[in-house]
Formats: sequence, C-alpha cells, structure tokens
Amino acid sequence: MSIAITINEEEFTAEQGQTVMELAQQHDIYIPHFCWHPGLSIAGVCRFCMVEVEGRPKLEIACNLPVTAGMQVRTDSEPVQEAHKWALEFHLINHPLDCPICDQAGECGLQDYYMQVGKYQAQMTQAKVLKPKKLDVGVDLVLDTERCILCSRCVRFEDEVTKSGGLGIFDRGDRAIIGTYQNKRIEHNYTTNLVDICPVGAFTSKDFRFKKRVWFTQEAQTVCPGCATGCAIDLAFNADLKRYYRIKPRFSEVNAHWMCNFGRGMYMHLNVEQRLLSAYSAAEDAHKPMLKTDTAHIVQALAEQLQQAQQVALLVTPQYTVEDYRALLAFFVGKLGIRNVHQWRSRQEDTEKFDGVLWRGDQNPNSRGLLEVLAEFGIDKQQGNEFDTLAAGNYDLVIALAPQVLATFADIETDLQKLQELPWVSLWASAKQVLDYRYQQVLALTCFAEQRGTYRNYAGVERQLHAATSPVSAEIMSITALVEKLAACCKAQEDEHGSS
Amino acid sequence: MAVVRVKRPPADRNIFFQVAGYVAEIGKGMRLTMGIFLRQLFKREASNTLEWPEQPADYGERFKGKHFLTLRDDGEIRCTACFLCATACPADCIHIEAAEHPDGSIEKYPSRFEIDILRCVFCGMCEEACPVDAIRLGPEYTMAGAAGEKWVYTKDYLSQRSVLEGGVTSVKDENTKHPDLDREDAAQTSHLKHGVH
Repeated sequence: MSIAITINEEEFTAEQGQTVMELAQQHDIYIPHFCWHPGLSIAGVCRFCMVEVEGRPKLEIACNLPVTAGMQVRTDSEPVQEAHKWALEFHLINHPLDCPICDQAGECGLQDYYMQVGKYQAQMTQAKVLKPKKLDVGVDLVLDTERCILCSRCVRFEDEVTKSGGLGIFDRGDRAIIGTYQNKRIEHNYTTNLVDICPVGAFTSKDFRFKKRVWFTQEAQTVCPGCATGCAIDLAFNADLKRYYRIKPRFSEVNAHWMCNFGRGMYMHLNVEQRLLSAYSAAEDAHKPMLKTDTAHIVQALAEQLQQAQQVALLVTPQYTVEDYRALLAFFVGKLGIRNVHQWRSRQEDTEKFDGVLWRGDQNPNSRGLLEVLAEFGIDKQQGNEFDTLAAGNYDLVIALAPQVLATFADIETDLQKLQELPWVSLWASAKQVLDYRYQQVLALTCFAEQRGTYRNYAGVERQLHAATSPVSAEIMSITALVEKLAACCKAQEDEHGSS
Repeated sequence: MAVVRVKRPPADRNIFFQVAGYVAEIGKGMRLTMGIFLRQLFKREASNTLEWPEQPADYGERFKGKHFLTLRDDGEIRCTACFLCATACPADCIHIEAAEHPDGSIEKYPSRFEIDILRCVFCGMCEEACPVDAIRLGPEYTMAGAAGEKWVYTKDYLSQRSVLEGGVTSVKDENTKHPDLDREDAAQTSHLKHGVH
C-alpha cells in the first residue's frame, strides 16, 4: 500500500513501513546522519537526523520515523538546523578534533558537518575526557576511542553482518568506549568494513593509514577480480602518479555494502613495481634472462611461428573479460580453427567453498564467462584445471594467458616452471614475476583497472568493469588490441605469400 | 563629441629660448647628483649603498624567504604530516611521506618532507595552512647556487641547517591530549584549549 507524504513541501509516495530516512535517501534528499546505515539495523543513538513533522510538538529522528498518511516533513527549517548545531556540539565535547593526523579527514561526516553547520566557538568549559588511542584491535584495524562518537555502527556490523559479535560499548556516560572483549581480537575476513562504516576516524585501516590523503585520490567504479562473487568496488587511485591506493565496496545487488579483506588487496598488483612494463623475448643463450623487445617485433615473430607450427594450443586463465575472450577466440578458433583451448586454474582451489558472506573458493572473476564464450565457439567444457592435459599435449606453440592476480594461484610457480619446459611458449602476462623464467616470448597485458569489460560472476550476473587510468606503461595493451595486431601481422604475411 | 581647444605654441620663437629650458633642468639635476656624490665622498653624509654580500642586508621579520621546519620542545620535528601545506601549495612543490612514529607518543610524522625550491613561488600559503606552526618562511633570501646542486630541500636541511643553529622550537601550544602523557600536564595545558575545539 502506498502512502502520500510531503518532504519540504514536495509530494512523494512511500511504501507502508518505510522510514522517512529511507524515503529521503531514495529521492536524494539529504538528511545528515551518523548512526543510520542502510545495511544495518536502526539504533537511533546519534540524534542527528532530526526532522520537523507538522503537528508534532518536538523534532523526530528520521531514521526511526515510519511514514504515515498525510505526514508533512521539513528537513531544512530553522529548528532542524538549530538541532543539528547542538547535536554536533554534543558530539564534539570529547572528540579530539585531531583532523590533521586523522586518516578519515576528507571523508569524515563529523568534519563535513562541522564545516557546514558547526558552532565554531565551543561552549564547553570542561577539559576533554582522555581515552585510549591507537589500539591494535584486529586484522587491518587501528582503534582510536577518543575520536569515536559511539554511533554503534561497528557493534551492529559485528552482530548482524558477520555475526561474530567482537565489539561492544563498555563503561557509561562520557567514559563509554567501543572495545573488544578481553584478550580477543577481531580476526575475520571482513574487518575493513568497520573502517568504511565508521563515520569518524575511530577505526582506520592499517594498510591505507597515512599512505595518501583521500583528497589526492580519485575513484573508479569497477569490479573486484578477487573471486567469482564480483563485488562492486571503488578503486582509489591517483591519475597523475598512476598509483593505486585502496579498494572500498560500492553498493550493488551482489555485495550489498560490503566486501572482504582479501578483495581489498586487489590493488597491490596494479602498481608499477609489480608490473610487466614491456614485451620480452628469449636471449640467444637460453640460460640468460629474457631481453626487452619491441612489441611489434614480438607480434611479428608470433605470427611467423603461427604459420610454421603444426600443433597450436591456447592456455587461458578465467581472469580476463568476456570481450577479451571473444576477440581471442574469434581469431584463434574462428579464423585459424585452433580447437585446443585449455583452462588454466589453480590446482589448490576449492570452487565449492563459500564463507557464507561474500568470499568464494573460486578465485577467478570470470570462470563462467570463459565457459560461455568457449561454448559460443562450439567448445563445450566443464570447469576445471587442464594444465596437465596441455603439458602432455606435444604442442609446438602454446599461447598462454597468465593469471592477473598471482596471489590467487597458490601453485603458480610450479606451473610457470613447467610451462618454460615446453618447446615454444608465448606468455601473455601482466605481473613482473614471469621474468624469473625463460620463455620464447612474453607480451605485457593491461590489468582490470585499465580496461573496460564484463565479468560473469558465479551466478551469471554481468559485472561491468570501468577503466581507472591509462596503462602504467605505453608498451602494454589489452588482449583485444594484441589479437588485432597479431591478426594484421598474419594477414600481411599471407598477402606476401600470395603475391610471391 | 566635445572639442577641446588647445593654444598653439608660438611658431616664431628663437631656437635659443627653446633649448635654454632643458639646459637649466640638466644643470639642476647635476647639482643634486654631484652634491650627494661630493657630500658622501667627504663623509659628510652616510651612504645607503651596501657592499653586498660582505655587508648583509636586513629584511623585515615578515620577509618570505627560505623555508624552515620548527621543532617540538623535545627536539622532534613538529610537523604532523597532515598534508595541508602540500594541499595549499599552488606550485605543487611540497612532497611529504607520512609514517607512524617509532616512538609511540607521536602518532604521525613525516618520514620525508621535501620542498622543490625551484618550483616554489614563495607565496607563503604553506605557512598559512599549517595548523601547528611547523613550517615557516624565514628571512634567508640568498638561494643562488651552481648547476647540479641539490634544489630539493630535505627534511634535515629544512629543520637543522647550520643557519638555524640547532633548529627553531615553536612555542605554539602542544596537543597534550594523549594518555601516554602525564594527565596532570594535560589538565594544566588544557585551559589553553578552552573555547577552541
């Protein structure tokens, strides 16, 4: 049943049971709040989301105010603004206001409202209460109880989302603090969500702490490549420095408001010191390291090898986009008629594993996408590792698409070692580690943060990637671009043969 | 359109009268110049000219010259690596790397603090943005140097170069709100903070 109500003299239709806060959020009317979070239960403790309701003597909190027929709500009247001012004053009584050393500065609710509606002259004459600072309370967590405004979001997260109940509010009054239980730490795979939902700087992330001020970073809306769930993420980077700093979850149907700590590490392999920055080819002396070579030369060499080779095989990891697979298979399967396409997966993965929240044992973002594209080209396969089939296959040319995220491949070293024993390997990779081995050639690929595309997650839902910055080096390119180059080279060779 | 009527100069004046005026003015000027020259030559009047660089010139205290970083009472660098100077800098010449201080009582400090002095425009915005009086533009104005010299001032140079004679300690009120510090100390100094969050 829908109900008509007005907010700031504008009419809206609401659902029965909806709160004013939810309705306002839905229509982009901003009601300032600290303790309310769309993914958690209602606590109503911060007293900040005050709104005025026609005919009621006092202001009410919007987060716990169900809509009723004919309700007339005001979010911008003078009493409301006055209430914000005073609520903020109370929150700041014991807040240290150490924004210069606080990592939350720049994305802090308290700081924003202080600048917006703050009473810059405090009327409190008592000294501030001192509380424990800089506590190591768990994985990737630093807790500063002085900065805390006791909104209890973190306590509710622990109780409701991870159901681990690791946090509580202890003591009373102005001495109340957030804390863990005696000799207990918060050790699960979702701790950094506490940092995200903390509206102030009470929880900060050990990993991101002091690395970069948030106002020097931009955010790209993309998808986590860490597992088959495909959580929507905001990837923080600096376009001038071409550096990536952190990953935060973005709301989507798949992951709601959360993501796991494992996925948050997925920015590390993107930075320039981890990356393969140009193409390489084997030195004449097989025991010497590979030599940096122009990409055009290597593609030329690959095209020549393709002409000569009798038995060609592809080895593909499920960590690239659907578009890339289509381009790759359209050339190799569709045009050249090569049907030896093998999947390359970690041997130690347990694809059935699921931790009950988000993380999945299938640590490839596009397992399903790869199988579907293979099926489009008439190659029906089951999910599984086929590295050994390939190694036993006696091929004179193997084109291998190495995993982007080596962290998810527990036995990558064994596989890379075995691969270098094959007669002729063209390895397409994005991680620097492959240079420890010797292949006939290595081509440098872009990472997920540098390209658009689609993953299909475990349920077949399409997850859209968006590029953050241009690639860290001019020599690296996407699979689609490489295949185009290769196709052009092959065509030029055919034309030459045809004319001669 | 308004018309302004101007008197024409008489066309028939002798050339002698036309030049005489200029000569008289030159004479007046030479008298002034030679007067000062001779008075200063015979030490009747002090000269304003300095024999720089042997004789240093003093600028006012508010002169915005070479930067320096101030220290706390205990000799540690005062900067908290908040990046406000780097944010305010219009020339983008301040490079800071923040880190956790090995000594637990200080939370954040700059493990690197560098100013690319060739980019700096000496606007003083860094000084103005600093919430803890950690960076100041000092009275030093001689910054010439040979090619190949270090034009990026490091943290040590900015805080401890010889001109600073062991570093400048800032007297700005310290944030003593830390449980590791003596609580009585905090209570004593906290009255300074009243009225300001």
